[in-house]
Amino acid sequence: MSTRTLISPAQLARPRGKLIYWISFAVVVGGFTLVFLGPLYWLVTSGFKSAQEVIQTPPTLVPGSFEADNYTRAWEVMDLAKLLFNTLYYAFGALAFQLIFDVAAAYSLSKLRPIFGKAILGMMLATLMIPATVLVVPQYLTVLDVPVVERNLLNTPWAIWLPSVTNAFNIFLLKRFFDSIPKELLDAASMDGASPMRTLRSIILPISRPILGVVSIFAIVGVWKDFLWPMLTLPDPAMQTLNVGIYSLSNGVPANVLIAALTIASIPTLLIFLIFQRNIMAGLTAGGLKG
Amino acid sequence: MRSAHLRRARSVGAMTLVSAFALTTLAACGTSSSGSDDDTGTNSSGSSDPTAPLDPKTKVTLTIDCMPSAAKTAELKEWKEDVKEFNKTYPNVTIDGRSTPGQCLEPPRFTAMLKAKSQPDIFYTYFTDLPQVLDNDGAEDITAYVHDESVPALKDIDPSVLNSLKHEDKLYGLPTSNYTMGLLINRKLFKQAGLDADAPPRTWADLRTAAKKISDLGDGIAGFGEYSAGNTGGWHFTAQMYSLGGDVVDASGKKAAFNNETGRQVVQNMHDMRWKDDSMGKTQLLQWGDLQKQIATDKLGMFLAAPDDIAYMVQQLGAEYANFGMGPIPGEKNTLAGGNSYMIKKGISADKIKAAIAWLNFKNLTVGKGQFDWARTKADKLPVGIPQPNFWLNESKTKDDAARVEHATMPVENFKTFMDNPVAGKAEPPKAQEIYKVLDTVMSSILTNKDADIDKLLDTAEKQVNQVLATQ
Amino acid sequence: MSAPGLSPTKAAPTRRISSRPAGSVPPRSSFAKNLRRNLTAHGFLIGALICFALFSWYPMIREFFLAFQKTDNGEVSWVGLDNLRTVVNDPVFWQAWKNTLLFTVLALVFGFLVPFVVALVINEFRHGKGYLRLLVYLPVMLPPVASVLLFKYLYDPGYGLLNELIGFFGLPEQQWLQDPDTSMLSVVVASTWMNMGGAALIYLAALQGIPGELYEAAELDGAGVLRKIWYVTIPQTRLILSLMLLMQIISTMQVFVEPFLLTGGAGPEGSTTTVVYLIYQYAFNFNNYGAAAALGLLLLVLLAGFSAAYVKLSRAENE
Repeated sequence: MSTRTLISPAQLARPRGKLIYWISFAVVVGGFTLVFLGPLYWLVTSGFKSAQEVIQTPPTLVPGSFEADNYTRAWEVMDLAKLLFNTLYYAFGALAFQLIFDVAAAYSLSKLRPIFGKAILGMMLATLMIPATVLVVPQYLTVLDVPVVERNLLNTPWAIWLPSVTNAFNIFLLKRFFDSIPKELLDAASMDGASPMRTLRSIILPISRPILGVVSIFAIVGVWKDFLWPMLTLPDPAMQTLNVGIYSLSNGVPANVLIAALTIASIPTLLIFLIFQRNIMAGLTAGGLKG
Repeated sequence: MRSAHLRRARSVGAMTLVSAFALTTLAACGTSSSGSDDDTGTNSSGSSDPTAPLDPKTKVTLTIDCMPSAAKTAELKEWKEDVKEFNKTYPNVTIDGRSTPGQCLEPPRFTAMLKAKSQPDIFYTYFTDLPQVLDNDGAEDITAYVHDESVPALKDIDPSVLNSLKHEDKLYGLPTSNYTMGLLINRKLFKQAGLDADAPPRTWADLRTAAKKISDLGDGIAGFGEYSAGNTGGWHFTAQMYSLGGDVVDASGKKAAFNNETGRQVVQNMHDMRWKDDSMGKTQLLQWGDLQKQIATDKLGMFLAAPDDIAYMVQQLGAEYANFGMGPIPGEKNTLAGGNSYMIKKGISADKIKAAIAWLNFKNLTVGKGQFDWARTKADKLPVGIPQPNFWLNESKTKDDAARVEHATMPVENFKTFMDNPVAGKAEPPKAQEIYKVLDTVMSSILTNKDADIDKLLDTAEKQVNQVLATQ
Repeated sequence: MSAPGLSPTKAAPTRRISSRPAGSVPPRSSFAKNLRRNLTAHGFLIGALICFALFSWYPMIREFFLAFQKTDNGEVSWVGLDNLRTVVNDPVFWQAWKNTLLFTVLALVFGFLVPFVVALVINEFRHGKGYLRLLVYLPVMLPPVASVLLFKYLYDPGYGLLNELIGFFGLPEQQWLQDPDTSMLSVVVASTWMNMGGAALIYLAALQGIPGELYEAAELDGAGVLRKIWYVTIPQTRLILSLMLLMQIISTMQVFVEPFLLTGGAGPEGSTTTVVYLIYQYAFNFNNYGAAAALGLLLLVLLAGFSAAYVKLSRAENE
């Protein structure tokens, strides 16, 4: 891979260039560390502070008090394992539904080109511009009593999974990627008499891995970040997501215990992230979105 | 040829597979419809005579919300004990409690719940929720079910409290607690500032002086705190108006009534305290829960609150109850009154309604039992001696007050000023939440903007409230 | 014979796929072929289609009806333009639109520009790229409510770390969320911190794909850094930039949790009241679904205009 970027190597090779490079490098690394790790440092350490110290003016950088008890209490009060399980269950369920339905839809729109395909795509893309909150009322009423099948999806994972399929952006990304697959490849397949399903499975999907990675991350992060919708559709405390659980807790415990709870709630995903860092980074950067 | 057919079959098969999957997905949702709709319209089972007592053999399961959460260890323990004891009398009634950490009732979730008709059989409400519940046809009329037999202490419940749960003479709920707002003080800070902790300020002028002295202690300590977000700012603005004999909405219920001398006095006073005296702290846009955290950690001297806030602070925020005291709301003309209740879901069977009332009676409306079992409350290290909730009259009041004193875990004299100077309670205005939203802006403006134009703020708010009241 | 609007060259492979097997069986009418092709194609579409119909399109239609209805004691009645009137007469109506516009502009400047600049900077370094990338993406993995509450503490003018920090650099104390002039900005900054990771990494990937020769060529023409960015970097990443812009606009429109938790929604003097928050207020605090739907409808009409423009633009681009 070429390392040639904005600044020319020649410039950098000069002593002055080298000096500037290292100074700016130090500034950027220091600045980024401060900006991105600083708040996390505050979070972890404040979890050890006494309730007084947390809201003390001026704030302390190093805890003056040490109450590991906060973490024990936060753990007891917040049913983290359940909240986390719920959230991951909804997230991966939503991912599965999106991978099946949205990939199939994008494939159909891109390669099978059904009648009214363009109109359907247009109607799907139109939903992109509508903020979720605008439709939250009618959507909520729909979930209470789904037309035709007449089911109440409240307090069930379906209330998260099915609406998640209406992710027009992911369909759009997939379709764009599928559009870029050279038709010679598909011609060869159809020459062999492959069915559309087989073409999708054995030709399209293997070369679409980068975009599938991106779409998967978007799908999971979407559920992970959502707040209002799960708050409304999963009111049962036993079904709550992590976000809603933390929110419910925020008025119920002292500030230091709340901060400890925030820390604990952040750890599992940070761990997941650090473990799968390579895959996630690769997913986002492998070029699935290039050009 | 054969292979071609096969291929075609496979492609069609694949396609049907996708669509079949889509359909079964939807169909499968059926297995998970919410649990409490199996009991609608079963009024015929058991005795449908509302006045007949509940047959102890009747087997019912009652869902109920606002069970204490894990954070409220002691209260949860008591809840479980109460269920056990209740089951001695009614072994066939299962109490299926649900808990929420934090506040039991959050307006958005509550609204959604009513729309969805997903409330449990017995659901927790504020007194002010009645119109909204009725709008959504959510609560059963329990007038016929509530009588001297099912609720023996009925005659001793303060009628003004019961009236908050009535609409057109029909009763829709049973109270669990009531409050009138007073001035909650931090005794430690009062002493540190050289103030008399047994004599909380009784006028707004005295309060201002005291607040200044407390905030002069430095160290980020605020003398007086007020809300200004999440509609709670408007709520407390209303309380302050009441305290000076003012009102927020006039008697006709059609016009705003705060754009006057009283209103200006309230606003000017807050503004001066915030900016001239700097005695209200730097952190603003606070809402319910924030001031409690401040006062519990000795960072706040006073704020307007109901006595039951103390229980919350002791139990959940780890505060010391001996550290708190209360006086009546300064001004003492009127004070905001309100409370909480349980209502019963519309459409559940007569037996369930009876069982629900039996439970509510046992847990919340029996002197010496449930929430009024002060001996146990003391043993569980929860505060006893807080003046409210107290909706009793007559004999029940005498008995209950005596028990409170007997088992008091805190110096009851800390509340003497509050108890000895009762201020007349006044209910919240109509369309409370919408009006509070408007008044939030007034509060947040004076507390965050040094140059706030008070007359303009009140003018604008008046126009807005009039509009709110005009649209029905 | 093919679906209307399809260009023949693009439609060709599709036809081939479906016509190929058919070619080896006794000839069929093109109608039957077409029908089968369409059946297959729609079979693939159906799952997404059902979901869209139920959870997007149907609610949109319903929104329209709700906007002209009113519910009293469980009874639905038609009220014509009453809800719309309620909404427009709400004194914060115009302020909410103004705030929404401000928020959108700020969110675009920060949410769109900052990650691009961050990616440009990271891309210049020969060392520590992995570490920097990791840092930038870290906040995305935190539960958003945790991040927002964290920022609430950092912003606090009393015990918050941020005032302490800028005090260290000799800057005057700020009120952040509590000052109507800075509240919206503070919300946007917090939101950017939480969400920029994904965008930054995507830009970074795009930057790495730019052939180095292009920069060399630009240097031969005597271009400086800014000119190189303008004439090489941006054109080379144009597609990805436009895509991310679209995504940023969409996510900007969805923002709810940040102002809701940071300023209680309305903010000082109503300075963070957005249209979306107002809709939420109507629906869930005032129990007035009609007004919520009416305001939603107004926003919908406006956004429909935008999306029509976008579709038109992107179509023009494709041709």
